[in-house]
Amino acid sequence: MSESDTSPKIQTTIETGDEGRGEAPLNARDTVIEARNLDVYYGEEQAINDVSMEINEHDVTALIGPSGCGKSTFLRCINRMNDMIDVCRVEGDIEFDGKNVYDDDVDPVALRRKIGIVFQKPNPFPKSIRENVAYGLKIQGFDGDIDARVEESLKRAALWDEVKDQLGSSGLDLSGGQQQRLCIARAIAPDPEVILMDEPTSALDPVAASKIEDLIDDLAEEYTVIIVTHNMQQAARISDRTAVFLTGGELVEYDNTAKIFEDPEEQRVEDYITGKFG
Amino acid sequence: MSNEPESGVGSLQRSGFVVRKERLYGRLIAACAVLTIVVTVGIILALSGRALSFWSEISPIMYFTGTSWSPVIAQDYGVLPLISGTLIVTVFSAVIALPIGLAAAIYLSEYASDKARSILKPSLEILAGVPTVIYGYMALVYVTPMIDRFLPFSAQIIPPGVPVLPEFTFVMPSLGTFNALSASVVVGIMIIPMVSSISEDALSAVPDSLRQGGYGLGSTKFDVSTRIVVPSATSGIVASYVLAISRAIGETMAVTMAMGMSPQMPYFPNVLRNLAESSQTITAAMVQIAGADSLGTGPTYEAMFALGMTLFAITLTMNVLAELVRRRFREEY
Amino acid sequence: METEETTSDQLGRSTALRLQQLKGQLFEVALVAATLVGILAVLALFVQISSDAFQPETASPAWFLVYLGTLVGPTAAFTLYARRRPAVRETNAKAFAAVFGGLLLALVTYAVVDSLSPYDVFTYAFFASLPPALVLAYDRTTEDRTYTGPAIPASIIVGVAVAALLYDFVRGPIGVAAEWILYFGLVTVPAALLVWTLTASRRGRRSGALAGGIVAAGGLAVAVASIVTGANASLLVVLYSAFIVPTGYVLWRSVRTDPEGRVGVAGPFVLLGGTLLGAAVVDQFGIRSPDSFLTPNLLLQSWDGLTASNAGVYPQIVGSIIIVGFMAVLAFPVGIGAAIYLEEYAPDTGLRGRLATILEVNISNLAGVPSVVYGLLGLALFRRTLGFGTGIVVTASGTLGLLILPIVIVSTQEALRSVPDDLRQGSYGMGASRWQTLREVVLPEAIPGTLTGTILALARAIGETAPLVIIAIATTTYSPPSGLFSSGTALPLQIFAASANAKPEFRHGVVPAAAVVLLILMLLMNATAIVIRNKYGREN
Repeated sequence: MSESDTSPKIQTTIETGDEGRGEAPLNARDTVIEARNLDVYYGEEQAINDVSMEINEHDVTALIGPSGCGKSTFLRCINRMNDMIDVCRVEGDIEFDGKNVYDDDVDPVALRRKIGIVFQKPNPFPKSIRENVAYGLKIQGFDGDIDARVEESLKRAALWDEVKDQLGSSGLDLSGGQQQRLCIARAIAPDPEVILMDEPTSALDPVAASKIEDLIDDLAEEYTVIIVTHNMQQAARISDRTAVFLTGGELVEYDNTAKIFEDPEEQRVEDYITGKFG
Repeated sequence: MSNEPESGVGSLQRSGFVVRKERLYGRLIAACAVLTIVVTVGIILALSGRALSFWSEISPIMYFTGTSWSPVIAQDYGVLPLISGTLIVTVFSAVIALPIGLAAAIYLSEYASDKARSILKPSLEILAGVPTVIYGYMALVYVTPMIDRFLPFSAQIIPPGVPVLPEFTFVMPSLGTFNALSASVVVGIMIIPMVSSISEDALSAVPDSLRQGGYGLGSTKFDVSTRIVVPSATSGIVASYVLAISRAIGETMAVTMAMGMSPQMPYFPNVLRNLAESSQTITAAMVQIAGADSLGTGPTYEAMFALGMTLFAITLTMNVLAELVRRRFREEY
Repeated sequence: METEETTSDQLGRSTALRLQQLKGQLFEVALVAATLVGILAVLALFVQISSDAFQPETASPAWFLVYLGTLVGPTAAFTLYARRRPAVRETNAKAFAAVFGGLLLALVTYAVVDSLSPYDVFTYAFFASLPPALVLAYDRTTEDRTYTGPAIPASIIVGVAVAALLYDFVRGPIGVAAEWILYFGLVTVPAALLVWTLTASRRGRRSGALAGGIVAAGGLAVAVASIVTGANASLLVVLYSAFIVPTGYVLWRSVRTDPEGRVGVAGPFVLLGGTLLGAAVVDQFGIRSPDSFLTPNLLLQSWDGLTASNAGVYPQIVGSIIIVGFMAVLAFPVGIGAAIYLEEYAPDTGLRGRLATILEVNISNLAGVPSVVYGLLGLALFRRTLGFGTGIVVTASGTLGLLILPIVIVSTQEALRSVPDDLRQGSYGMGASRWQTLREVVLPEAIPGTLTGTILALARAIGETAPLVIIAIATTTYSPPSGLFSSGTALPLQIFAASANAKPEFRHGVVPAAAVVLLILMLLMNATAIVIRNKYGREN
């Protein structure tokens, strides 16, 4: 499994995508995020190995792969959440709207205001529902009508009807699924361009999870959504494009979701998808 | 979207003022942390400056080997009687606190129900929270007469009829107004929580798998506690002992009030006489000088700093030692 | 015995095993005894010392019976009643805290301001609060919040500096005002503003203004009434604003919003009523009360080493409170700041990571330095280096502040560490900076734990004696400190000094009574800390 073997294949995959073997041409939409030769190390250990990929605006892009394959690491690189980890070192470029986010003149705090994130475990703040949703607006110094924004965000997160009479009660009083939708409402309230989701349904029961999936579908109309999931059915159901990471942090194949699940190029991807390993 | 003045490329930057403001806050907070180093350096400078000027007048050899301490009257600056006084209190308070503290730790960690623990732990903490001046007062006014009721006490170790030397009779003389015994008792009580809480942490940190293993081999709870859990936590327990002893060495008010101000070399061979009579610890000697001589000059005043330096060196060594032992125990699991 | 012996092998109940069991049981008994021996010994000494302070044996049995009937019985009955109803119990606890906490707050405020001179306190308070008020007003009117954060502390510093500069000019005009007007400005105005904002946030602006106005008008009415009747207008104004108003507000809200638990409000009044009724009955029938040494005289007079009945520790109590209070102002921000740096800012690796490790080790070593050595540090730092006078409040506060710094840091670190990392991640993911995350998410969550640790540090500081002896704080002064740079004393020092007094009415009377006062202060603080810890622990 040497590096020089695999990386050209990725390039090939993406290039062949231009000829339109999937449902839609790969470059039909504008590229909003582009990774180029990205390597990430935790101390001595390499978590991402020379990954290059382009992510389109208003797509739902799923990152799938076995645990420890680097998909979450890749996701957290996009809005520099990995800066928090002292031993984490990033090489290569990630461009957001044509600007490398790891450039010196990019403030990660400002970056995260454009690229929001929803985590695996719902983590509402121990504040009221209203304060939770208004949090991003408050820290960014939003001077418009906060209550209207809160209502709008909760409606878009399909939570308004359930909580409109208890906006003052604590976000922690909600059920797990409601908490996760609250976190989504919180993430979209400041109107970011991209929403990252790190296994947003894995801590939820199936009913709550399916509500989130419906929600993701709606969100893609206005936002670019990148979602990490270990649930392949979920990736197949909700994403436009799918990237398969395998052990060692390599991006093995990246294409239209239909293509990945019906006719993958790589034998390893087929094995993974059909459950032969992973 | 934001009313902070945005500037720079692609608005992936925040306003320069906000960034500078937060950097300033970060620096202020770091300065607070660095201040703790300043405190340490300050202690060392404050002590060493005057202590060195003391040792330039009074030779360190005389200070460390002299057997008479009488700074105010005779200008004798031998520290040995004070070290002897400190040792007496430390040893006897350790005799009280170390076994009791360890037993309490074993009980809290291995035997006590959650409810018992929730009551006993804060109660034990109170023992360390009572102002030491109150401990001193209680030792002087209540503990001494209480113990003295049973004294003098003598018992012949070898039955009469056998020709023996008088030294072989066990004699505990009656207590003076100021005595080391009552001081040791209250110091012992106040350092119990130090032993019990740190030891309990060490005992609780022993993984349950070790206990399960012991029970699996058919051991009783007694065996598991004494033969598996306690030995596994040895280094933590030792650390707690060292810290408690260091605390006893530095204890000031209780020994000043209960043990008096008459420095003594230890009595031999009747060791118990040391407990019954007044003597003086390093800390009590410092209090005495501070009370007697507030002029701020002269070797007597500087002797206070030399004593402080001695005390600081002893306790710092012990704390570092405890930290090293403790670190070893952290690595064990 | 024999039958058991024969079956022992099959059933495994040999004598040896039974002996082993016995050994285990004895061991457990020994452990329990060891755990209890220290606690019981100290308890016995507490009983001794309180019995010397209260002299219960000098009271007639009827005295005990009267108070059993009026105070102990009803209070116990009410407590038992409340125990079984959670809502009532909660309200009862809240009412106790509000009534006695409010009373304590009012008395301490009055005593401290009175000793520091209301004119000085008012001057500084006025100049320190005016600039930040202007900053806040600017913030409100222009909605420009960029500069508000750093401007508030900066403006307070400027205000204090201006007050110090203009002191001589301002003191004259302010000195014209009657004392109660200054107390009105110091206590009633803030109380009215507090009620205003609290009511406004719940029931709208108009009721807020109304409620604030009523509180202020009430304060004026109390002042006028006490001037007319010749009572101490200042004390009554403080009692009204710092005790009646906040306690009334809390109790009134409990009664209105908590129909289930509202009976609990009666708790403290059963206690107070019982005490008053008992006193009335004892007085009426001439029942012999104990010759307690814990009298109003002890709490309100200054020391007298010759006549026990005249000896009091008022200057010592107020001195202790001022020293420890100013110590808190000095040490808590620094300690909390250091803890925040170590937990939230310092990296794990690299040069600065190594610095953080050194800081941690250093702090744990500082915690082990004997308190008497801090006295020498205080002596060298404040007297030799800064040239402060002997035995003044600032020196004492500074020395104790350095002493408790490690305690504050370690407990704050623990509180910060207990805030789940999820919340930090969530906040960073929203585009919050480190400072915003700290201010909006981490600190609010860490407040109860921090509070517990800092109160315990206060309790430790109020009992410290050795460093104060070393920095030559006077053992006995006859009036409380009149300012931060004037000499003062502390309660434990008086106990130390008086322990040499061999007169029996001192040795077994006044000094134990003073010790009981100190113990009560310390236990109150410990209890507050434990209550906060338990309440916080329950919520999580």
